[in-house]
Amino acid sequence: MSDITCAFVIQRPPYKSETSTLGFTHAISYQVVEMLLEDGQNVIPTVCMLGEGILNLIKDQKAMENYGVTSIESHGKNGLLVDLDILVCKEDLDGFGISEDRLLDAEEMGADKKLQIVPYAEIQKVMESSNHLLFF
Amino acid sequence: MGILTIGCFSSLVGSKSLDFTLKLANAAVDKGHKVNIWLSGNATVLGKNHQKHLKDYSTGEKPVMALLEKGVEVCECEACALARGITKPDAIPGIQWNAMHWYLAKIYSSDRVLHIGGE
Amino acid sequence: MKLGVFVNDYKNTVGTIEKLKAEKLGFIFIQNGVFHAALKENGNPSPLLDKTSNLYALSEDLATRGLSSADVDSRVKVVTYSDVVDLIFNDYEKLAWL
Repeated sequence: MSDITCAFVIQRPPYKSETSTLGFTHAISYQVVEMLLEDGQNVIPTVCMLGEGILNLIKDQKAMENYGVTSIESHGKNGLLVDLDILVCKEDLDGFGISEDRLLDAEEMGADKKLQIVPYAEIQKVMESSNHLLFF
Repeated sequence: MGILTIGCFSSLVGSKSLDFTLKLANAAVDKGHKVNIWLSGNATVLGKNHQKHLKDYSTGEKPVMALLEKGVEVCECEACALARGITKPDAIPGIQWNAMHWYLAKIYSSDRVLHIGGE
Repeated sequence: MKLGVFVNDYKNTVGTIEKLKAEKLGFIFIQNGVFHAALKENGNPSPLLDKTSNLYALSEDLATRGLSSADVDSRVKVVTYSDVVDLIFNDYEKLAWL
């Protein structure tokens, strides 16, 4: 066995609980899981933002200023920086009336990846093709 | 027989999801399956020793010690535990301490994964 | 995919669950999710019971809430933790907690 894939489906809103933060940080930890596996083995995450999970992506979050915690925006940017695929459900984004330019990006940090706004059908495909699902 | 990894992020008191995790793990190991449990977020409170079983509140210390005896691997997220003031001298003996990649590594070799997010 | 969904809540689960599609979809009602199996509102059972024919409710969580098999919709099978383990390993390859 070489790699296995996991869909990290984040569907809870930000900051009341740490659930969505932990979704991002667990996905990002794929960067170091190799040290606990054999050569050539890895866990490949895809982060899927659904429903109220979309709300984690709004930029200009003031979490550090107000709560002294790293913002979820910052975790999202770090995720893009380490080449995570972060898919955003277009239907839910449109449903909330949030435009793409209100969402985080990590271009100024040098990230190659951007958020991918996709129809739910694409997220369904990711869930079907992943070995395991983790709903946050 | 198979390998089940459960990740639980729910609190010890205030949610019965941790109780569910321990009961499910027990049922699985009694049927001959291998079980791993990853505790993160508020679930790390489960790893603190000297829990008193007051009848109004869930307690996990005895069930988790019984699971450890049966060979279930239970691991706390060290960062989440430390953030809650739980240090290794306070921890239930036998519970492992590691970082998030432990969970991913167990997921790698598991047949089934049940992730129980926090609330 | 064969997807087993642990429905652990009564009111807060609708959005994501409604979107899910699977070749085989199962709902395992646990904790407050058992109310989907046992309650009617305004005479109507939970709409989740129409979404799939693979429906299960955890006996212990029913009993904890003062409910019994007699309260459970006839489409739902009452199961134990041991049965849930068998469902996990034999019937569903992927699991979701919603």
